[in-house]
Amino acid sequence: MQGGNTLEELPLGKSTERAALAAAQAALGRIILGKDEQIELALSCLLARGHLLIEDLPGLGKTVLAHALAVVLGLSYRRIQFTSDLLPADIVGVSIFRKESGEFEFQPGPVFSQLVLADEVNRATPKAQSALLEAMEERQVTVDGTTRALPNPFFVVATQNPADQIGTFPLPESQLDRFLMRLELGYPNEENERELITGKDRRAMLEEVVAETSPEILLALQEAASQVHMSDALVDYIQALVRQTRESPDIDIGLSPRGAQALAAAAKAHAFIRKHSGVFPDDVQAVFATVAGHRLKAAGGAHYRSASELCQHVIDSVDIP
Amino acid sequence: MSRIKRHGTDGSLLSSLPWTLASLALALLPHVIYLPVWISAAFLACGLWRYMIEKRRAALPSTWIRAALALACFLGVLFEYQTISGVGPGSALLAIMASLKLLETRKRRDQFVLLFIAIFLVMSALLREQYLWSLPYLVVAMIFIMTAWLRMSAAASESIRRSFATGGRLLLYAAPIAIVMWVFFPRISSPFWAVPIDTSSGVSGLSSTMSPGDISSLSLSNEVAFRVRFDSQIPAARDLYWRGLVLHQFNGRSWKGSEPSMGRRAAQQIEVRGEPVRYRITMEATRQHWVYALDIPYQWDLHKTRMSAQQVLARDFPIDQRIAYQVESYTDYRAGADMNDFVRDRYLALPDSSNRRTAELARQMRRDAGSDGAFINALLALFHDEDFYYTLQPPPLGRNPVDNFLFDTRRGFCEHYASAFTVMMRSAGIPARIVLGYQGGELNPLGNYMIVRQSDAHAWAEVWFAGRGWVRVDPTAAVAPERIELGIAESMFDGIGLEWGLSAPSKFLHQMQLRWDAMNAQWNDWVLGYGPEKQNAFMGLLGMDNPSWRKMLLTLITLVIGLILLISGILALRYRPPPPDRATILYRRFVAKTGHQLSIGESPAAFAMRASTGSRLSADTILDITNSYQEARYGGVDALALQRLETQVAAIP
Repeated sequence: MQGGNTLEELPLGKSTERAALAAAQAALGRIILGKDEQIELALSCLLARGHLLIEDLPGLGKTVLAHALAVVLGLSYRRIQFTSDLLPADIVGVSIFRKESGEFEFQPGPVFSQLVLADEVNRATPKAQSALLEAMEERQVTVDGTTRALPNPFFVVATQNPADQIGTFPLPESQLDRFLMRLELGYPNEENERELITGKDRRAMLEEVVAETSPEILLALQEAASQVHMSDALVDYIQALVRQTRESPDIDIGLSPRGAQALAAAAKAHAFIRKHSGVFPDDVQAVFATVAGHRLKAAGGAHYRSASELCQHVIDSVDIP
Repeated sequence: MSRIKRHGTDGSLLSSLPWTLASLALALLPHVIYLPVWISAAFLACGLWRYMIEKRRAALPSTWIRAALALACFLGVLFEYQTISGVGPGSALLAIMASLKLLETRKRRDQFVLLFIAIFLVMSALLREQYLWSLPYLVVAMIFIMTAWLRMSAAASESIRRSFATGGRLLLYAAPIAIVMWVFFPRISSPFWAVPIDTSSGVSGLSSTMSPGDISSLSLSNEVAFRVRFDSQIPAARDLYWRGLVLHQFNGRSWKGSEPSMGRRAAQQIEVRGEPVRYRITMEATRQHWVYALDIPYQWDLHKTRMSAQQVLARDFPIDQRIAYQVESYTDYRAGADMNDFVRDRYLALPDSSNRRTAELARQMRRDAGSDGAFINALLALFHDEDFYYTLQPPPLGRNPVDNFLFDTRRGFCEHYASAFTVMMRSAGIPARIVLGYQGGELNPLGNYMIVRQSDAHAWAEVWFAGRGWVRVDPTAAVAPERIELGIAESMFDGIGLEWGLSAPSKFLHQMQLRWDAMNAQWNDWVLGYGPEKQNAFMGLLGMDNPSWRKMLLTLITLVIGLILLISGILALRYRPPPPDRATILYRRFVAKTGHQLSIGESPAAFAMRASTGSRLSADTILDITNSYQEARYGGVDALALQRLETQVAAIP
């Protein structure tokens, strides 16, 4: 369905970079079985320079996805396990006094990595959470009065377990807004689950995987993705969707202008991965639930089982111009 | 760690700020000639300053600087005008506040306030003057302000022409409502909302005293004093004496009148003969009480206007605005036939110590003449035969101006002759006085009315005879008959004017002037002159006789609401959603041919997936057309996609 264009016709992205992206996508697909759509969305999020929140039950491969992204894309990777006694310094790092030199030396924390996995982000206290969220927003951290830039690209994958309620600090809406997308992985299908059971251990597979891209290629891809053409008709469509979230009686809090920007950026990245010559309506629809789902607040009386169902309802009530 | 920079501007107003500034400048334009120069300069400086701030993303001046500037400007206005009420200081304050508001304009909201001030400035210009050109100015200024308003929120791609068109259209929607409000808003003869008129700017015209040189200085003014539309035959030029005020107190140099409210019985002392002259005068504001009318007015319809004991029409309050009134006059009349000794003495009074040679000459001439009538004729003959000259630029006169004029200089304008004549009469024991007014006027053939200008200002004398009353004698007629027969304009062009280097303006220019004046007269009649009487007459035409103001207001409100509903109804009916583009039309044609329906929110890709099963079209065709459509509608590269789509859809059987 997404065919029809040959690589030569595409305006953006050199073919070597394109090929690296396709190889990375394929490699991820071999590790995380049957989740091509989620992989595509996670890559879109990365190409749109956004951060990713994966929300699902334990054991569905959240951590593996984050780690695999880092390995395949050739990014430096650190994992922070969020617990209730996690301190901001555990994230950003500390200055240690060195006796030999008689000076303070900064010991960078795990946040100084190109891909940071914040595991079970809702288990930590708001203080620790905000240290991370600040780093995500500013792409720099300030320790002891010195501002230090974080690496570029800088990509945070946070996971949280929606079933856990006791002893957690759910992220407030304003902080959820920092994540470009919220992704759910879901259970694999029977066939894929069988292969997971019988096949190799996924962590062991990660040891063997080689990097398909480099940070430089990723930056170039990000730049190219932001240049994807967006027609007036499509801007109209995005605006119509946003308007619907604000006007629908089922929704209390609609999309903010920042939400609309996020939608446009994610749709561009998605169109880039799909090699579309411009952003198509199905690009917007594909990213809509993950971009808008965590930004909308359903009205009290509305009965939707999930945010994605609510988002689908919005899509189904707006004409495509 | 670097401190965050103090609120700099973000440059977001850069594109709309010039529009706001231009709107303000346009709104200030009619005020500039009245405002002190420093206020206009302050506006320009603030505008430039604000623009540079925006351009350089600099910070706005601090609160303290702004407060100090505001205080200084307020005191400046107070010092300039000594008050803050009235149109002059009011508009000065408004202008200065607009300038200072610029310095705290941070957001779009502040720009709205600025544009409101601009509208207010435009409106306040109407408090000063409402000329014919005020209307085009209003329209242009309002369209411009509306456009500036639209430019604030316009997309970068919207053309300026489009903004102007939208602004004009918005104004057009409002026009019927404005007209209805103007027609139906109840008019009251002396409006209680009248604003204090700006008295700082002078109005030229006759004043209640006359010294040598007063009228000759007026004679160069081309300003209109009043316009007259005759209902009956226009009297001959020599009868066109427009009576203003009477001066009777002489101090040796200047003449003075008395307050106008001296007597109320004067009208009864007038006997008239012959046919009346009926006409309507539209008089410009004079800030005086005098009401001009053809000698001698008999009936008039102007409210609160009475005839004083000296047969002078005066209103109870100064004429601050242009007024129109209907008068009936008789050129053949007899007035003030009775006079008691007390009054008689007043009209004979002369200061003892001045102009002795004149008094001597008068007594001698009176003795030689034998009768009062013969004496007057002898004096007029003296003016005519001796080398007396009628001139616009008489030489200055000394301590005894009448002596000086009669015996030495012998050059003078109408006030010299009237003054000398009256002094001579009084010296010889004949009661006499001076009348100030206008003589003649220019007939505008384009509007069929007469224009009387300040240059037509004139002074003549009246002498009293027992049994006959006051008789008009114009000594100027003896010196320069052409002044009276032809009017000041002709006599200046043809005679004395040339001598002083005044050349007649070209015929064409004069024609243009007359045309412009005719338009102005119409404007004054129909727009500015739309007062209680005209409104009442108009309401009568609509079937409402003498409606109360309550009824009028109710009609007004009903009409305005009705108009708003009507206009919005028309707009709603006329609204057409923008036509779909070519690619969409073709795509819909294709969708119809697949036999499936496109559901709401279904993307072309999703539709293709669904339609490829169970359609009479092949899956490849559906895929190709969908691709072409997406390329044409949403893609940014393929210029040929639309053409391809066109052929593909046409190829569907």
